[in-house]
Amino acid sequence: MTNALRIQDLTVEYKTRRGVARAVDRIRLSLEENRTLGLAGESGCGKSTLGRAIMRLVPYPGQIADGNIYINIDEDIPCKEGDIPKGEVDITELNEEQMRVLRGKEIAYIFQDPMTSLNPMLTIGSHFVQMIRAHDPEIEKEEALDRGKEVLEGLGILPERVTDYPHQFSGGMRQRVMIGLGLVLRPRLLISDEPTTSLDVIVEAQILEQMAELKKKFNLTMILITHNLGVLAQTADDIAIMYCGRLVELASVENVFEAPQHPYAQALLLSVPDVTKPDKKLVWIPGAPPDLVDPIPGCMFNPRCPMAMDICKTQVPPLIESETGGLVACHLYGGK
Amino acid sequence: MDRTKLISGVFFQLIPTKETFENRSGKWWFALLALVGLALIYISGLILVAVGSNSGIGLQVVAGTFVIGLLVLVSSAWRRWMVEQEFLTKKRAFIWFIGFCVIIVIAVSVASFAVLPAAALDLWFALVSGGFTLGFACLLLYDFYPVLKERGNPGLAVTAGILLVLSIVYMTFISYWIVPHDPFTLDVGLPLAPPSSRTPLGTTELGQDLLSRTIAGGAIMLQVAVVSVIVCFIIGVPTGLAAAYRGGMVDRVVSLVMDSIFAFPGLVLAIAIAAMLGPGIINMAISIAVVYVPSYYRVIRSQVLSIKELPYVEAAVVMGARDWEILFQYILPNALPSAIVVLSINFADAILTAAGLTFVGLGFPIDIADWGYDLTAGWGVLIIGKWWLMVFPGIMIVLLALGFTLAGEGLSEILTPKLRE
Repeated sequence: MTNALRIQDLTVEYKTRRGVARAVDRIRLSLEENRTLGLAGESGCGKSTLGRAIMRLVPYPGQIADGNIYINIDEDIPCKEGDIPKGEVDITELNEEQMRVLRGKEIAYIFQDPMTSLNPMLTIGSHFVQMIRAHDPEIEKEEALDRGKEVLEGLGILPERVTDYPHQFSGGMRQRVMIGLGLVLRPRLLISDEPTTSLDVIVEAQILEQMAELKKKFNLTMILITHNLGVLAQTADDIAIMYCGRLVELASVENVFEAPQHPYAQALLLSVPDVTKPDKKLVWIPGAPPDLVDPIPGCMFNPRCPMAMDICKTQVPPLIESETGGLVACHLYGGK
Repeated sequence: MDRTKLISGVFFQLIPTKETFENRSGKWWFALLALVGLALIYISGLILVAVGSNSGIGLQVVAGTFVIGLLVLVSSAWRRWMVEQEFLTKKRAFIWFIGFCVIIVIAVSVASFAVLPAAALDLWFALVSGGFTLGFACLLLYDFYPVLKERGNPGLAVTAGILLVLSIVYMTFISYWIVPHDPFTLDVGLPLAPPSSRTPLGTTELGQDLLSRTIAGGAIMLQVAVVSVIVCFIIGVPTGLAAAYRGGMVDRVVSLVMDSIFAFPGLVLAIAIAAMLGPGIINMAISIAVVYVPSYYRVIRSQVLSIKELPYVEAAVVMGARDWEILFQYILPNALPSAIVVLSINFADAILTAAGLTFVGLGFPIDIADWGYDLTAGWGVLIIGKWWLMVFPGIMIVLLALGFTLAGEGLSEILTPKLRE
């Protein structure tokens, strides 16, 4: 099995007026082909920043400070400013034009809010034509439109609606259009940043179902960023849990849900309501995450951790293999 | 839009069944009556003037333009009918329509050379431009009215505004052939004679016929307004777009320049530039354009600044769109409606500024018919009770400005909801 994506010691920093905030702190991660990685964690833990860093689109004061991101490419991609060779490519080394060619063609990204993600002045069809022709200027308009229609049909939208404008679609349909736009060029990697957060549960279920189907059909490798653990249980193969910019646990879905290792993962799961167990007492995690501009030494979770030890306050726990076969960053398991 | 909506205009209810008339609202009847009434007054006025025209063929010219207008309308209706019946594709039908228009133009040129070889070019220009202006007005009512009607009152305002402007444009185009006297001939009547049967609107200080001058006087004002607004648009929109999209130093420098222009009182700046450049349509247009460029720049800049942060622009980046695609397909179309609104309102402003420039003596020499000039002269003699010299050109300026303002205000209301979408 080859790795579709390999992230090495990735650090993303936001230079704010108060100081430098590390939103992503030395993350090391590899993702096998055709698997779905769920990225979970509370708000502000850096999961969206990580997703954007893979697109090299960290919003303004932020920048990739250190580390490499490798993605695997099947074939040479021609580009005006230097062709991209096949094989493993470090996208932190690419120039802007090469990166532009890569976006949409190899890596697709789906945003959280479908209501404003489509240009209100363009028809859905023109979105497809414009997108396809940005990557292949030689293609005929009609052909591009046909490809768009085909993808839309697969997503359950009538092909004749390509002449409609975005405001004539519902939220769920717009998100399907966005997914269609993301997939029309057959990318290998799909990053979806909370794709169903602003949709109701029925549409959410529909879209997740369709995404799973598409993943099979297009041989996609997926990163699903969400704070909804229920969604991850449905769709992901592996789950990575982030806290304050660091990876605290990475394991298969079963292991994370059956036997979470890191105290933060355990606490996170306890705070999820469960329909089958109405008597379950919801536990929240006391306290708040530490300030990223002024990070505390040692494990970031130590002030809120019920099992904190002395070593937790001084040393950053390394990511080590856990008993269940995943990875965990906690001193509880280091003392073998 | 379904078929019945497509083929119903104000005049042209092709299926006048009982219920379609009973279902009309009071507003519709009022609009229809006002439109028909005003059109009748306008047309009868034209004919009345044309009968006693200086050129001798005024009536024929008016009739000719009406025939051309009707031909344009009929060929457009035919085009749409062919598309609806699916005999022709949209593109083909449009080419046919253009072909018809070209045939009309050629026929008119042949006819005008046959009738009046001495002034054939003038006649041809008056017939073609007047005829197509009329044709456009008819098409506006016939084709676009259902579209505008869906927008309610703003749609009506736009229609009214454009019709008002078109009627003045039409009058200006054919003015040479329908004026009762040459607008430049001196001593048509006594100087400053009050309205009489020979000079229905009175005479100027030099005894020129005021009616003729009022009919012909719009040419300069319209040219100045159109040229200055186009210059403004061409300069203001691209600079605003580039500065806001680039940001940083470029933005600051351009903004500083624009803001310093904006800080001047508009008319004073226009007077200064006009005085520097001297008289002439282009010079006058430039001096007005300089005053109004900053408003386009500011509107476009602020629009682009907010639009470029919107998710769909980011989505375009994520999909690998090029810079110019983002600029011209995502940002510009969304920013342009507000610039178009500024444009139509600026037409009115430009006309008033042009009148103001002529008013302070920076306009044109006396042998050119211009409302602004007559207004200035009239202001001087108003005190001795000669009111007509100021009133009639003034009414025309107000009507033209009103037309542009109505169209602009209506457009702003029609286009803004789309922006919020």
